[in-house]
Amino acid sequence: MEWMIGARDQGGFENVTMKGDCDLYSAPDFAKAMLSRIAGGAARLRFDLTEVAYLDSTGVGALIRILQEGKRRGCELRFRGIDGSPRKVLKMSNIILLMREEARP
Amino acid sequence: MKRLIVRKLIVDERNELFDAQGMRYVVFPSDFSKIREFTALILADCPEAFQEGNLLEQQLSEIIKNGIKHGNRNDPAKRLRVWYDLRKRARFIVEDEGEGFVLLDEWNDFFRKRQTALFEEDFDAFLALASYRGPGSDETDGGNSLIAALEYWNGGMIFNGARNKVGVVRWFTSGSG
Repeated sequence: MEWMIGARDQGGFENVTMKGDCDLYSAPDFAKAMLSRIAGGAARLRFDLTEVAYLDSTGVGALIRILQEGKRRGCELRFRGIDGSPRKVLKMSNIILLMREEARP
Repeated sequence: MKRLIVRKLIVDERNELFDAQGMRYVVFPSDFSKIREFTALILADCPEAFQEGNLLEQQLSEIIKNGIKHGNRNDPAKRLRVWYDLRKRARFIVEDEGEGFVLLDEWNDFFRKRQTALFEEDFDAFLALASYRGPGSDETDGGNSLIAALEYWNGGMIFNGARNKVGVVRWFTSGSG
């Protein structure tokens, strides 16, 4: 999976666009990068999962760690574009309940 | 009135889910880098109706990963055996050569606490308990694969007495495919 961090929008959110399979091979690096961003003082992050078609338990675990760190450091988190099997996986593990979702623009 | 119902991992050596008669069989080396490849091989002839996008692939790969990583500890000398049957439903038996899931009871305790926090809508506690972390957990462990698995394998998820073999089945409302 690749990810790209866009410029801050008017609401102060940095957009993180994820693309590809968020799985046991890619999710640990993604988590590391995002945790480091939050630790570095990011105040608002928005994750767009529109182009993520595969999410496994390591990917879910990465999102959990981001949610935990965001809560701990007061970083506001938003999520967009969670559909298909990634949505089902997040529902089965109940994690979707912790994610503040926004409609795609 | 709302009632809390918490599923649990079950150990049952003689469960019918371990009857491998008529099932196809394959053996894999403990190669962590090929977990998704092994999964794709097994599902090469899988009816589309069973795949549910890539949900079946994802759930099967979790079991294969658990066997290779936690069971066999990525030891190349240890093998993973998989029996599978994709007629009428998706059914698998996966056996590793490790010491077994010794913390199964602790996991059930963890899961009860987690689901209780969710039931009580204590979301701070739930977030803290969202992932299971055991002594062998590292960054490639999401700590939630068994949670989703208990939901996904709607026909059962059973461990053998040695806890190194798991039998699972999922039925589909769309029929036999």
